[in-house]
Amino acid sequence: MMVIMRNLSITILSLVLTTIVIGNAYYQKKQFFPSVIYITKSNPSMAILYIQAFILVILMGKLMRKVFFGELRPVELEHLMERSWYAVTETCLAFTVFRDDFSPKFVALFTLLLFLKSFHWLAEERVDFMERSPVISMLFHIRIISLLVVLGALDLNFVSHAYQSTLTKGASVQLVFGFEYAILLTIILNIVIKYTLHSTDLHRELPWEHKAVFLLYTELIMGFIKVVLYVLFVFIMIRIYTLPLFAFRPMYYTVRAFKKAFNDVIMSRRAIRNMNTLYPDATPEELAAADNVCIICREEMHAGVASKKLPCNHIFHTSCLRSWFQRQQTCPTCRLNILRTPVNTQQNPLPQQRVRDQQHHQQQPNFPWTRDATNQQNLNNAQNATTNNGASIPGPSTTLPPNVTLPENFQFFCPPFPHIPFNLAPPMPPFENLSDEELRRLESQTREGLEARVRCLQNIQTLLDVSVVMLQQYCAAAAVGQQQNSGSSDIPSTKENVPIPKENVPSPSTSNSSPHENSTNLGNHSCIKEDKNTDPNSSTNFTSAQQLSESGKSSTPLNDEMQNLTREQELARQRRLEMFDNVKHPSS
Amino acid sequence: MAGSALRRLMAEYKQLTINPPEGIIAGPVNEENFFEWEALITGPEGTCFEGGIFPTKLVFPPDYPLSPPKMQFMCEMFHPNIYADGRVCISILHAPGDDPMGYESSAERWSPVQSVEKILLSVVSMLAEPNDESGANVDAAKMWRENREEFNKIAERIVRKTLGIPAVTQV
Ligand SMILES: [Zn+2]
Ligand SMILES: [Zn+2]
Repeated sequence: MMVIMRNLSITILSLVLTTIVIGNAYYQKKQFFPSVIYITKSNPSMAILYIQAFILVILMGKLMRKVFFGELRPVELEHLMERSWYAVTETCLAFTVFRDDFSPKFVALFTLLLFLKSFHWLAEERVDFMERSPVISMLFHIRIISLLVVLGALDLNFVSHAYQSTLTKGASVQLVFGFEYAILLTIILNIVIKYTLHSTDLHRELPWEHKAVFLLYTELIMGFIKVVLYVLFVFIMIRIYTLPLFAFRPMYYTVRAFKKAFNDVIMSRRAIRNMNTLYPDATPEELAAADNVCIICREEMHAGVASKKLPCNHIFHTSCLRSWFQRQQTCPTCRLNILRTPVNTQQNPLPQQRVRDQQHHQQQPNFPWTRDATNQQNLNNAQNATTNNGASIPGPSTTLPPNVTLPENFQFFCPPFPHIPFNLAPPMPPFENLSDEELRRLESQTREGLEARVRCLQNIQTLLDVSVVMLQQYCAAAAVGQQQNSGSSDIPSTKENVPIPKENVPSPSTSNSSPHENSTNLGNHSCIKEDKNTDPNSSTNFTSAQQLSESGKSSTPLNDEMQNLTREQELARQRRLEMFDNVKHPSS
Repeated sequence: MAGSALRRLMAEYKQLTINPPEGIIAGPVNEENFFEWEALITGPEGTCFEGGIFPTKLVFPPDYPLSPPKMQFMCEMFHPNIYADGRVCISILHAPGDDPMGYESSAERWSPVQSVEKILLSVVSMLAEPNDESGANVDAAKMWRENREEFNKIAERIVRKTLGIPAVTQV
């Protein structure tokens, strides 16, 4: 309110002053031309007229803004202010280069440039916002299209004007304007392409898989054109005038944006190649068997939209997965590093097999090898199952030292998904455990074979380290198991999608030994709480959870049950709510 | 078809409306901009933040859920994992790779499997059990460790403030 009042009073004051100046001149000279000459001779009068012109430009800008954009969002206003600030600073720098040409006309041209620039920025922001806006009105389309036409025509006009002027009158400040408007023209082109893509997408029923690719390449090409323009401009400026300092900041950002676009394209290509070559399309049966919601977009996966299955058996939309792989090359659900997973998934037992293996052990409380320490065969099988999969660390069942005796009815915590404790690299299997297939790969003369050999050597040391860590883990797990036996054993957390054993192992970064504070993992607090909880409610809930998994087991294979994400999430949610309840009614 | 980020946020909003977790209300500030949410979090009972109703703001990036949202408490807070300006520092809000505190493994980081609901529930559990290792507010972390009584007093004052009840001199 205060701002509006102030603006209004400034506008009125300026208007009054202008009226006085003009009125006074006309009163003194009585005629038009003498009055004009009188005003131009007087510096104070001219100053007032300049201020008036400036205010008129601002009012004009506000009017145009109302016409083309309506109300600005706070973010837009903030960005506009920030960018205007930089633009004004750069303009002042440009003035220092062209101080000989300095004239009111020059200032006016720069003001106009700034003015038009701000509309380009706003248009860009609006079109970017299209993708995030739930409703796009007809008015929006009319506004954007007319604005783009007007701005495009103006830019083109100014570029050609600068070109003609430079040809006829030689290099002048018009060079800067020509270049600036050329950059603005590329921005307009970019906005037009984006607008077309977004509009097309809006009118489609199904998600448009290739839109992201188009956007990526648009960004790359536009970035390239801009970089070329900037380099050309700086080159010409250095030849004719001096180093154009004022162009350096935008140039830096342009080069950075181009580099990012380039990286994105590279990453995207890699992701696409990986997906096309490594992962099979999910079959309709697989989609039907799983609760087919894509965890990335939370939308159903049906046969019409392409979906891919990762080595860990998690299924996602191809387009969702591709955009995720541009950020990270891991499975969004279980964080399996897909780049470390061997290329030919056929010859490697999948993690699901391991999970099934573990589940098998879990079902029998008497571990065969805790009774019979010489049951080496079983151990080796389990080891093969896990270590052959490059990205997963051997699960609890693999390197259990034969001499560790666990309590009678100890129930093992098995993370259903592979996880990597303490970011250790996956160990390679000892040679005697390698299958013939694996050995053949090691011996082959191909590049792959060579890499496999090198990796094997490197990882022998890691293997040693890992076994030490493992031993520590099992000691800790065994200790917790004993604790659990004295309390009520609460198993639902074994189905939690988090590495439970980790919670029970004193983390290296933690010095505190209090059970409530020994977690480095804020996101997963609930599990600790529950594990320690002796609330009878939680055990009843446990039975229902178990029944759930039991019933699932009878109808679908266990691995499908494991990847049944929604149900898993539902369980996690229930558990957290339960925790919430437990916090509310703390068990004494 | 609207953008994928928007569609996912709408789906999450719908889910939260149909099946709201206890003690949490969350939704877009206005239905024209789904990328800015406000959420009310009830302080978990049995903790020093019991009874408080804390307003928070969530800002989603255009590429959500590939990148995590940012979360900020809009009221005064004194907590080891909340910066003085209200920003929340928990591992699942950090994308793998950026590690302000230096000891979070990537398993606890952001991934599209996370959701608004999971974030808010994590924040509730963070209120109940601060992690004084990753100290966004070092003073609060120190007080939580060494002078729990004083910490509880400050927490109570904050709780009263969120409820609009003037601080009681005699407790
Ligand atoms: Zn999807
Ligand atoms: Zn996976």
